[in-house]
Amino acid sequence: MAGVSSAALLAGFLLSLSFLADGLNLWPMPASVSYGSGTLYLSNDFQLRTEGSRYSDGSGILKEAFQRMVDIIKIAHVVDGSLPRYGVLKGLRVLVFSADDKLNFGTEESYKLSIPANNKDAYAEIEAQTVYGALHAFETFSQLCNVNLTTNIIELHSAPWKIVDQPRFPYRGLMIDTSRHYLPLQTIKNVIDSMTYAKLNVLHWHAVDRESFPIELPSFPKLWDGAYSYSERYTTADAHEIVQYAERRGINVLAEIDVPGHARSWGIGYPSLWPSSNCQEPLDVSNEFTFQVIDGILSDFSKIFKFKFVHLGGDEVNTSCWTRTPHISNWLKNHGMNGSDAYRYFVLRAQKIALSHGYDVINWEETFNSFGKELSPRTVVHNWLGGGVAQKVAAAGLRCIVSNQDKWYLDHLDATWDGFYMNEPLVNITKPEQQKLIIGGEVCMWGETVDASDIEQTVWPRAAAAAERLWTPLKKLAKDPMLVRTRLAHFRCLLNRRGVAAAPLFGLGRAAPPHQDSCPKQ
Amino acid sequence: MPFGAFTALHLLLIALLFSGVLLPAGGRKRSGLRRSTVRLDDSSIYLWPLPKQYSHGSQTLTVDPDIALEARGPGGSSAIVSEAFDRYKNLVFKQQAGYAGGDHDIAKLIVVVASENDTLQLGVNESYTLYIRGASDGGRLSIVSEVSIEANTIYGALRGLETLSQLCIYNYDTKTIEVHKAPWFIQDEPRFSYRGLLLDTSRHFLPVNIIKQVIESMSYAKLNVLHWHIIDEESFPLEVPTYPNLWEGSYTKWERYTVEDAYEIVDFAKRRGIHIMAEIDVPGHAESWGVGYPALWPSRNCTETLDVTKNFSFEVISGILTDMRKIFPFELFHLGGDEVHGDCWLSTPHVKEWLNQHNMTTNDAYQYFVLRAQDIAIAHNWTPVNWEETFNSFGEKLNPHTVVHNWLGPGVCPKVVAKGLRCIASNQGVWYLDHLDIPWEDFYTSEPLEGINVTSQQELVLGGEVCMWGETTDTSDVQQTIWPRAAAAAERLWSSIEATSAGGLNDTVLHRLQYFRGLLNHRGVPAAPVTNRYARQPPIGPGSCFSQ
Repeated sequence: MAGVSSAALLAGFLLSLSFLADGLNLWPMPASVSYGSGTLYLSNDFQLRTEGSRYSDGSGILKEAFQRMVDIIKIAHVVDGSLPRYGVLKGLRVLVFSADDKLNFGTEESYKLSIPANNKDAYAEIEAQTVYGALHAFETFSQLCNVNLTTNIIELHSAPWKIVDQPRFPYRGLMIDTSRHYLPLQTIKNVIDSMTYAKLNVLHWHAVDRESFPIELPSFPKLWDGAYSYSERYTTADAHEIVQYAERRGINVLAEIDVPGHARSWGIGYPSLWPSSNCQEPLDVSNEFTFQVIDGILSDFSKIFKFKFVHLGGDEVNTSCWTRTPHISNWLKNHGMNGSDAYRYFVLRAQKIALSHGYDVINWEETFNSFGKELSPRTVVHNWLGGGVAQKVAAAGLRCIVSNQDKWYLDHLDATWDGFYMNEPLVNITKPEQQKLIIGGEVCMWGETVDASDIEQTVWPRAAAAAERLWTPLKKLAKDPMLVRTRLAHFRCLLNRRGVAAAPLFGLGRAAPPHQDSCPKQ
Repeated sequence: MPFGAFTALHLLLIALLFSGVLLPAGGRKRSGLRRSTVRLDDSSIYLWPLPKQYSHGSQTLTVDPDIALEARGPGGSSAIVSEAFDRYKNLVFKQQAGYAGGDHDIAKLIVVVASENDTLQLGVNESYTLYIRGASDGGRLSIVSEVSIEANTIYGALRGLETLSQLCIYNYDTKTIEVHKAPWFIQDEPRFSYRGLLLDTSRHFLPVNIIKQVIESMSYAKLNVLHWHIIDEESFPLEVPTYPNLWEGSYTKWERYTVEDAYEIVDFAKRRGIHIMAEIDVPGHAESWGVGYPALWPSRNCTETLDVTKNFSFEVISGILTDMRKIFPFELFHLGGDEVHGDCWLSTPHVKEWLNQHNMTTNDAYQYFVLRAQDIAIAHNWTPVNWEETFNSFGEKLNPHTVVHNWLGPGVCPKVVAKGLRCIASNQGVWYLDHLDIPWEDFYTSEPLEGINVTSQQELVLGGEVCMWGETTDTSDVQQTIWPRAAAAAERLWSSIEATSAGGLNDTVLHRLQYFRGLLNHRGVPAAPVTNRYARQPPIGPGSCFSQ
């Protein structure tokens, strides 16, 4: 007993120590950081200056992001204290070298952030290749600032700062599932906002599954008859809005249709997509109409989702409905196919349709495990079943996204933050050319027990642990997750202050705080 | 899809029953026969809480995304009205992205406010009349409909705006906002003037943003008092300029509210017609006070219960109340007074000696403390509210203006009002939100006037309050622990007793509450599924928001 309580005391002591070192509470940790010991005070009229920048910001992405940053630094506090005469930081000077603000896979995200020492009339400087790098710099800068609640001014400790930063992986994803439960537009926007705090950059929108088809697609206007209810739907304008909202925050939206196995809801509007009314999944492989619908959907998608990739699913295909339904079983016989052949035929044909619309294709790993050699070379294989897949995919020369369910499935409530933190995408992949094929990783928020009421606390803070794994250089990542616990606890309190319902670190995913206490201790 | 079938059935029912007919609804004078009709009617009306009286037709009108406000009357020009109009316009039109252009039936909202007085006090008139005129007038079809809200005060206008916003429904096919079942005539006012929610920022700190989100969500359910249990044993998060060391009792220096934060919260709430009732819970729940001023503790080893012997204890209370009086304009102030244990007083020599000298037991000292704190509150022009133990122990000694706050169990308010004191009902068995095993039905059916039959005594029950104690509630789970159960109590406190007394809740109320929960979700409030066995649990499996 005595041992336990002194350990707890020690932990508490270490926690309070870590709070003294304000400056190190950055999440995710930048590639390179140096800092001093001065304190700066942000001007009440904190300015954005962009002279000399090649980027004109005609779309207002930079200006809006700057305003958002100022707002989240203040986090609803009144900041009107009188400033000292020295050490006032007047604003941020931002230099963006590229005029182009098209966001896509591989868009340059690096930035340099320099914050001076105690000069008079000082500005902090940001340099970035693209406006999206500058957005990451804003996020880092915001995490260096604190409102002093006694003086009511914003302080920036440990100046001067020199931060040089860039992500380790170009694909840092979070999946949401709007088929098992509908997520209102506002909820999705809140998730997107919270992703920017952890520098995640891909929202994988698993829009449709067997349970419901919530999205409007003009080519086949009855598809969204498969929604749960009249108001649990997204119009195409809503989808446009989500994409635009995300892109203005440096986040790509990856849309998915999961064919042929997770598509029962398609047949509510078009019953001929079902093998039969008693056997409704997978989609009827023998019916040309099936591929016409896929073509129509992807044609509509290509007008909304400008990301380089589309996700075609392809997991968990049980072909017994095909072999049991007479007209399909005949079709299989006529084409000399068994169920597995037909699965391959379906996936490859869907791939061709996607390629014809200009997309590269992402498929769940079963497609690779079953007929990897025949997949289009433009395929990205999405791992989920377990570890060790990425190395096989890379050895086969294909690209891979890591989401092994034991570590990175957020719906696995017993997968704890330390496991999320330690899950290394490049494990056992040593050749540089193969390492490059691992474009990143993704944490998956499957929606069976997640709706608008609990998504944020199921996603956070565990997604943040993975986000650092995907952003920070390997050599700067802790070998022991306990070394980052207080910093992650601090980040979760930051999320809370910003209005994100991130759960305590202690306990299983989304657990309530076990008892009364201070946020950073839970 | 089941829902599609359901909707079709509903439309058919509505068409058969109500086409073109204005039904009398609400009110007290209904016959039994009509009530059964109205119950059917209720189940097709998705308003929460139900208005006092309403009638409607069967037309569908479209609303212009650029709908304009025309403010009239002495109070109509208040910025609170125009801000609220913009807020609701956003709520209605920002939940979806696309809107069809063209002519719309409703392009203007007229808000008439009779009084220019924007003082927000207990009992402020919250009544309003909402009239949505049909598109056909005197047999001639007119293109433009008229919508008006008439209210005595701006706060009534706010309630009317909430009701109107709940009548605005997005049509996913035509991409327009529609009002169904027009014309509408709604006359509404609350049953109780005090409809409260307690937040506890001592057991867990809640950031200002979160408190604002809760206030915003309260306005959706027409709750009107945020009881801010700021301080307790665990932490003292609020800045008190007169005694600047008090907030050293906060958990960390980030888990604090400045005076400006408190002003901001009060102002934010006022703009939504919500009072903030502050609380200091003395002398029993105040251990954190002594972190900054250890002299307030009986001793270093015995830190519970403020030292009753020292004038300093009362000076600090007086200082806190002086500072708080500037921030909190509401006439009620909560002084706590629950769960006071005299052990620390008895076991501390100088306190025990003092008790002997004054010939007091610990119970006497408890009474002495509470009454002296009451005097301080009254001297600051506040009406004291105390938890029920004070009434149970020495009720006849309490200041006659005291409002007694029930919590321990049922049957307390009848005793309180029999003594001529006022009462707020928060029976923990049905209205404590931290009791996760209390289902929404119990929140809904809890009747504050139960056992009180004399009208003059009924009037002493100000209302009720649901309490969100914070031991296991922080930013990550406060909203889903509050909602949707708080909404069930909110309807009990707002709507007429006839409307809330219908039997068979699963047939009459459940679907409408599920719909309101969906509305909260759409507005960004993470309200939990309605039919969960325990509060704030995740949904049990895939499914529609309207069936969980």
